[in-house]
Amino acid sequence: MIGVELSKMFRRPRTWTTIAVLNALPVLVAVLLRLTDLAPRPGEGPPFLSAVLTNGALFPLAALAIVLPLFLPIAVAVVSGDAVAGEAQAGTLRYLLARPAGRTRLLVAKLVAVLAFVVVTVVVVAAVGFVTGTLLFDAQPVGGTSVSGTSLTQEELAGRTLLAIGYVAVSMLGVAAFGLFFSTLTDSPLAAALGALAVLVTSSLLFTLDAASPVAPYLPTRYWLAFVDLFRDPVLWRDVVRGLALQGVYVGVLLTAAWANFTTKDVTS
Amino acid sequence: MSGHGRARRWAVLAALVAVLCALPAVVGALPADDADVPAADLRDAVLASAGVGFSGYAVSAGGLTLPVSDQLPAVADLLSDRVQLRVWWRGEDEQRVDVLTAAGETGVHTDPAGTWTWEYESATAERTRPAPLALPAPPDLVPAALGRRLLSEAADDELSRIGARRVAGRDALGLRLVPAAAASSVAHVDVWADAATGLPLAVEVVADGASAPALDTRFLDLDPSPPPAAVVGFTPPAGARVREGRDVGGLLDEAGSRLPAARLPDTLAGLPRRDLAGAPAAVGVYGGGVTLLVVAPVPHRLASALRAALAAAPDAVADERGTRVAAGPLGLVLVEPPGRGAHLLTGTVTLDALADAAAVLGRAPA
Repeated sequence: MIGVELSKMFRRPRTWTTIAVLNALPVLVAVLLRLTDLAPRPGEGPPFLSAVLTNGALFPLAALAIVLPLFLPIAVAVVSGDAVAGEAQAGTLRYLLARPAGRTRLLVAKLVAVLAFVVVTVVVVAAVGFVTGTLLFDAQPVGGTSVSGTSLTQEELAGRTLLAIGYVAVSMLGVAAFGLFFSTLTDSPLAAALGALAVLVTSSLLFTLDAASPVAPYLPTRYWLAFVDLFRDPVLWRDVVRGLALQGVYVGVLLTAAWANFTTKDVTS
Repeated sequence: MSGHGRARRWAVLAALVAVLCALPAVVGALPADDADVPAADLRDAVLASAGVGFSGYAVSAGGLTLPVSDQLPAVADLLSDRVQLRVWWRGEDEQRVDVLTAAGETGVHTDPAGTWTWEYESATAERTRPAPLALPAPPDLVPAALGRRLLSEAADDELSRIGARRVAGRDALGLRLVPAAAASSVAHVDVWADAATGLPLAVEVVADGASAPALDTRFLDLDPSPPPAAVVGFTPPAGARVREGRDVGGLLDEAGSRLPAARLPDTLAGLPRRDLAGAPAAVGVYGGGVTLLVVAPVPHRLASALRAALAAAPDAVADERGTRVAAGPLGLVLVEPPGRGAHLLTGTVTLDALADAAAVLGRAPA
């Protein structure tokens, strides 16, 4: 069943259209940066973007930072919101459930397909970012400078970039879990995606409010930018570990909720 | 599907959520072990902790909205914002304090010969030589350094014990300083010191009449073992812009020789005048401990800007005794007696004490 869902996900043209659209923004930013040579001022703009002018090999990180706040979660919310509700809307859910595999297995297969989409999307954004960065800017073959001002070898830089890609992918799992849970509540993929986005907008807004500081450590978007900490020297693991644990908690709770709801839901479409 | 099975599944979820929600409260409620240490002894232990090496992660939250955000933005941000600090401390003259931001960091590396300040986003490394006086910098907000500084002149009768609490996962003994000076605008300073090493782990400064601290800095993580020298040291990376910082020592010498020496009274607002190493002779420093008042001559051009900034402050108090502003416990007033140079009075004294001091200065012979 997992193979079927994966194949369905990556055979759909809209999956690849979504990924292509996601890559358009970082590429546009890179082209504008190359043409104008105007880096963001300190304290403004996405992380790593100002450093790209001197080392294009950092553009995968800047590309991830560009899509991370909005574009990437929107894409994940749309795909995960469509997972179950899309089948219900198309009238195919009851046929899927007619197979002996069972509802829990279908939910797991849908989850794996959404996770695969998240990983593929993040890797493609980073890969396109690397190609764009090295084509448009000077890349330093000997390595780079950490955020703390120490020198990093090329191996260290590559290793930390891989860790950052993995961390961003994990950060999106919470969004995917929200989308999947809402997808089991409604027959409308749009409503499920909007539900997941509403959670993210609420989380992002609360994070900026001092009055909400007691709940800040538990907001799903709280640790998204902690991938920058992987480029400090020594690496600051504090927020990275918390970010991974928090995503784990959200995924665990929401998938349990999705399972509790979906396995007993009356399916009529 | 049976209703019983459905109820069981939702019960599993409800139990999971309840356990997860209760965890932070349970961890936060872990009791701290208090120790029967008198307040004066705890102060001595805090002051003796200067040689303790450690590394940690601290957060400082300041509510001091200084009316100098245009002139001194870095200082204003440091004292009015939430600042995340990463600290490696080998000693008073060998330490590294990084101010973390979402997109970069500012690293302050101090060694016996000076300070390197690294700004990631502008890829700039600035070398500054040691000076007897300096503007507030990130290392000043480290709880261990701030706690020692605030307790350095505390008298026995100003101190009391306030129990214990857990800070950064360690038992911290509470010490409250209530300044004895009537003019003080500081209601109290609470220092929570590590029971094992005496290191201040958290410091709260509460202004007179306020309920929330004007400055609250605390460790969230602490490792009380000396960090390796390699982590603390700094060498500018290839491609960085390297520049010399402002020569503060030279500036102070220049100020000392150029500023006209005003005849300042021996006492202001009930506070005796004192010496401060490195301060130009034209600058008067009064008081002690956490109750300090500084009188400094201000050049005409700067006085105009300062007058405008004070007048524009939303909570400025303006009357015949001058325009006064309080930023938490810190008060400021500009005195401009006719025909004489302007003076700025600032310090941790009440606005009334500041007005009295300004009146005395206005009457004093030139």
